[in-house]
Amino acid sequence: MSGIWVVVEEREGRISRISCEAVAAGQKLAALAGLTVNAVVLDAQTEALAAEVAAKALAKVIRIEHPLLAAYTADGFTLALQQFFAAEQPDFVIFPHSYQVRDYAPALAARLGQVHIGDVTDVAEGPVFTRQLMQGRLSGIYRHTGNGPCFVSVQAGAFRTAESEAVEISAAEVTVFKPTIEPAQIRTKPSEPFRAAAQTVDLGAAQRIVSVGRGIKDAGNLPLVQELATALGAELGASRPICDSGWLPTERQIGSSGQTVSPKLYLAVGISGAIQHLVGMKGSQCVVAINKDPSAPIFEIADYGIVGDLFEVVPALTEAVKAAKQ
Amino acid sequence: MKIIVAIKQVPERDAQVRIDSAGKWIEESGLQWALNESDAYALEEALQLKEKHGGEVVVLSAGPERVSSTIREALAKGADRAIHIDCADLGKLDALGVARLLTAAVKPENPDLVLTGLQSEDLGQGQTGVILAELLGLPHASLILHVEKTDAGLTVKRELEEGWFQSIELPTPAVLTIQSGGNKLRYATLMGIKRAKTKEVRVVAASELGQQTAPVVVLERIALPTKHKSTQMLSGTAKETAAALVEKLKFEARVL
Amino acid sequence: MVDLNATLAEPQHFSLLEKLILIVLIAVSGSAFWLRFGKVLDKILHSKKDASFHLFPIGKRVWDFFWEVLCQAKVIRQRPLPGLAHAFVFWGFCAFALVTLNHFATGFGIGFLNPSGWFGRIYFYLAAIFALACAAGILGLFVRRFILQPKWLGEKLSYESGVIALLIFVLMATYLAAFFVADSDPAARFLWWSHTLALLIFLPIIPHTKHLHLVLSPVTVFLSRGGFSQIPPLAGDEDFGLIAGTDLTRVVSLQVYSCVECGRCTEHCPAANTGKVLNPKEVILGLRGYLNDLGPAASEPLLGKYNAEEAPFQCTTCGACEFQCPVGIEHLPILVGLRRGAVNTGTWENEYGSKLFLALERGSNSLGLPNGERDKFIEKAGLPLFDGTQDYCLWLGCMGGYDPKGREIVADFARVMNYLGTSYGVLRKEKCSGDPVRRLGNDLLFQQLAEENLKTLAENKVKKIVTICPHCVRTIQEDWKEYGTPPNVEHHSEFLARFADKLPRPVGPGFSPDIRMAESDGALAPEVSSADIRSGPEKIVFHDPCYLGRYRNIYEEPRTIVALAGDLVEAPRNHERSFCCGAGGGLAFLGEETGERVSHNRAAELVATGANMVGTACPFCNTMLRDALAQTGEGAPQLLDIAQLATRGLPKSSTN
Repeated sequence: MSGIWVVVEEREGRISRISCEAVAAGQKLAALAGLTVNAVVLDAQTEALAAEVAAKALAKVIRIEHPLLAAYTADGFTLALQQFFAAEQPDFVIFPHSYQVRDYAPALAARLGQVHIGDVTDVAEGPVFTRQLMQGRLSGIYRHTGNGPCFVSVQAGAFRTAESEAVEISAAEVTVFKPTIEPAQIRTKPSEPFRAAAQTVDLGAAQRIVSVGRGIKDAGNLPLVQELATALGAELGASRPICDSGWLPTERQIGSSGQTVSPKLYLAVGISGAIQHLVGMKGSQCVVAINKDPSAPIFEIADYGIVGDLFEVVPALTEAVKAAKQ
Repeated sequence: MKIIVAIKQVPERDAQVRIDSAGKWIEESGLQWALNESDAYALEEALQLKEKHGGEVVVLSAGPERVSSTIREALAKGADRAIHIDCADLGKLDALGVARLLTAAVKPENPDLVLTGLQSEDLGQGQTGVILAELLGLPHASLILHVEKTDAGLTVKRELEEGWFQSIELPTPAVLTIQSGGNKLRYATLMGIKRAKTKEVRVVAASELGQQTAPVVVLERIALPTKHKSTQMLSGTAKETAAALVEKLKFEARVL
Repeated sequence: MVDLNATLAEPQHFSLLEKLILIVLIAVSGSAFWLRFGKVLDKILHSKKDASFHLFPIGKRVWDFFWEVLCQAKVIRQRPLPGLAHAFVFWGFCAFALVTLNHFATGFGIGFLNPSGWFGRIYFYLAAIFALACAAGILGLFVRRFILQPKWLGEKLSYESGVIALLIFVLMATYLAAFFVADSDPAARFLWWSHTLALLIFLPIIPHTKHLHLVLSPVTVFLSRGGFSQIPPLAGDEDFGLIAGTDLTRVVSLQVYSCVECGRCTEHCPAANTGKVLNPKEVILGLRGYLNDLGPAASEPLLGKYNAEEAPFQCTTCGACEFQCPVGIEHLPILVGLRRGAVNTGTWENEYGSKLFLALERGSNSLGLPNGERDKFIEKAGLPLFDGTQDYCLWLGCMGGYDPKGREIVADFARVMNYLGTSYGVLRKEKCSGDPVRRLGNDLLFQQLAEENLKTLAENKVKKIVTICPHCVRTIQEDWKEYGTPPNVEHHSEFLARFADKLPRPVGPGFSPDIRMAESDGALAPEVSSADIRSGPEKIVFHDPCYLGRYRNIYEEPRTIVALAGDLVEAPRNHERSFCCGAGGGLAFLGEETGERVSHNRAAELVATGANMVGTACPFCNTMLRDALAQTGEGAPQLLDIAQLATRGLPKSSTN
């Protein structure tokens, strides 16, 4: 069997950050399992992307190219990878746990009689893979016990180590694989992505973010938190329920279906830390959580935590921040 | 339109989670159960399609006897009939195993559309619908917020990352996994429950639906999550903790 | 000059022609009466039978009949002057029973009361006194309706009322005038025929107008549902509430036909008083109109053409309407019935309502919070858990368990119980009592909640419950009876009042001048500024919660506690006339209101009393008034629950 294959995705013409993290995961697994790491890139044209991937410490880079892969479809990607892996026989296939991967990786695995292990946060000796259960309240340790490839996707921010940023010039060989795909085999017709509202705020670039969650209880309480954000020179963000209720516009939503942010300071106010939200802010350098519930999952990933009533703590904090500025 | 909605009964969100003695799953005694949240949205989408275009909504659920209460709830909300795959040890199956059971029940029904929730609140794998599509040989789309019936099939609104959306056209029959929040859920009514009493619930034993092969992925054990970095909990009055935090942010984390 | 020897003139020797004319007139009048009355009776009798109506125990019914009908108690008490005037008219009618019989008998030559005999003389004189009172009464009422024109009688002037008033006046006048003529006087005959005509014109008018209440309301009062806000259980698998004519029961039909359009219900309705669509009188008359036009077998919806769809959902179930109604109309079961029809069938689509129902479908409380929050509160407050051995189970309720202010009230009440050495405990698990969903008409959810809670209580062997929320008290004690046998429940005001003599009064500045002198020895206590020293005790205005006052008849017990902490002042609308805070009927969960906020209306009234403290006994009143008083700004009175008032005098060391 041919080792570890990392399926890499592009975002706006470049390799997505989560894909780089997938490569890092692959490298970690390689070290544990004593295997080589290779990468696969799918698209209509992949030359530039492949070159970028090749800069990582990899043995091989494969470019899977086909005109029908220009736009992502589950059918297209599944067919292409199925054909490629039929030849390659990988030990492990690692994906980034993106919306796209969630749409086809389980089908691909099932087609090969396997089961995909998704949203993995750690890989350990075994190898065993850790993923979260019960909305983050439990971890589960999974093991692949079948014959054939093991399909895994990694959670954003879980394998974010220095290595994922490093650029090592290596002598990865780059080859092209051309799958056979007929137009009739692509059964879904996707259109161009569109946005719901005009993008006025770029949380992705913010250095400091104060984020509100369900704990705020009412839209009328938002000014309290806005004051803190202003005092800190921070942008205001929110978890999904806040934006669903219309208390803040969708572009302020942070999480798996909103923005992914990585500021220097992330202050989570009244946010429990459900996985969909954590995924969006895990990469923050310093996380502070203020929540009434000491067992809220947010504290798992916080650097500093205050268990208390946000309606008391936030104003006090605003005052303290203002005082510190003088 | 004949729509099958696959629903799952999961522990109530409020439930106190305790690991059982074997360390492989949570202690189920004393738990209260509820309909999985995104499945409720799937059901709502199906009911709205039926209200618009006529047809039938069939709910399908696998699990032990206790699942029947959730099935009744779905019937009360407006589903026409139900299929209960009686399976006492669903937890021993992997996602492929579960999907195989569901496929065996779905195939003879020949539905126009199969809906599942995006992911379950307990395992959260989000795979059942996608594997179901693969096993049924049907096109699929996931993370769907809205479904519209067209002459050619369906047009659906799919959620993408970072506030983007996408429209997808696909033919029926198809499988869709439904994201939470796309619709307003309806509440269960007395009229619904009374009518549900006369609706058919066909119980079929899992063993009747074909031989299961051994799972290829196994949940070895469960644990309380490990933290990668230790959290410093600050305690005291609001004033005290605020002051302490500002100190830390300034001099320790150096982000202020 | 009144001649005390005057007797009532009775014309003699009616000719055959006259007798024939009399017979024809009686026949015509009677038929005209029956033509309409028969139809009404028909509609009532063809309405659905009330499945849960019980004639026995009959004692209360007899008492209510005596008190409300014969003594006209409600009529007088709620609007004293017009009420008394009406009472005289009514008593006049009663007194005239024999007079009228004798009057017609005279026409046929078989008069049986001899105006010169001792019995006849006394009786006719007595009737004359009533006639005077009646005439004065009807004159006063006429002036009120047509000259003063109070708002509650409606926008349009009721000419039929004017005609009736005139007829009654004529009846009394012709009767009294007959004392001043002789039997043989042609004037006597004229008076006799005038009186007869007035009567025979009056008779058919009765069923064609709201004066139908003359015939119906004594029956209506007697055949009431047997309790205040008595919501009947649904009857069978096809009953979902009041949806169409076929759902109107005999009791409802009888009641809507009895409406006398006095408007007392609307006068105190919090919704009607703050610009909402809901007007209780119009709801009743809308149903009457429906029955008149379509009848009890119709399947057209009750809501829509005859009553606005949103009207029933603006009701706080405060009960002021039902409480005031002098003819025995029970508005609350009707309003809840209309809600049931919309909610039990899923026709009611309301974002907040759905949110409330979904929260209770999946979770344990109406606020949609995880029940771990309640556990944490119990731990933090150090409340003992109920283990079957304690005397009392302290029921927290949703507000007591999850709302920060409700929790303060619970904590203070617990302090008092600790001080008194009461043995109590809280349940490990509680679900919402179901009050909001019961009042909103969601019978499915209510049954689930009631049954689960009853099971929990039985498992824990709870015998006595004390709680801070009157809604819980009512729902547990009365509404849960439909699904089991709830234990005894009392409100914390009843508990505290029992031990009032053991509770110390607060001491210190602002409470009692004498004690202040002894306490201060010249120096001010550090945390008290001179602004806090008042010239006397606190002035506390107590706001009667609807579910404690009108629903449970508890008015004095909370006042006993208030009196411990200061001087009680009353709001203009107090005791059974208390004006709702706006939270009841599930409305606290339904988001923004239209028009003026009910809580603001009440808060303004409370502030206007000049009190510096508002006392409440319900966590919902507390929340609503807190929000409203916050808008008042600086100088707003302090808002405290009676539990908090009770702890003011406790020694500081009794914090737990």
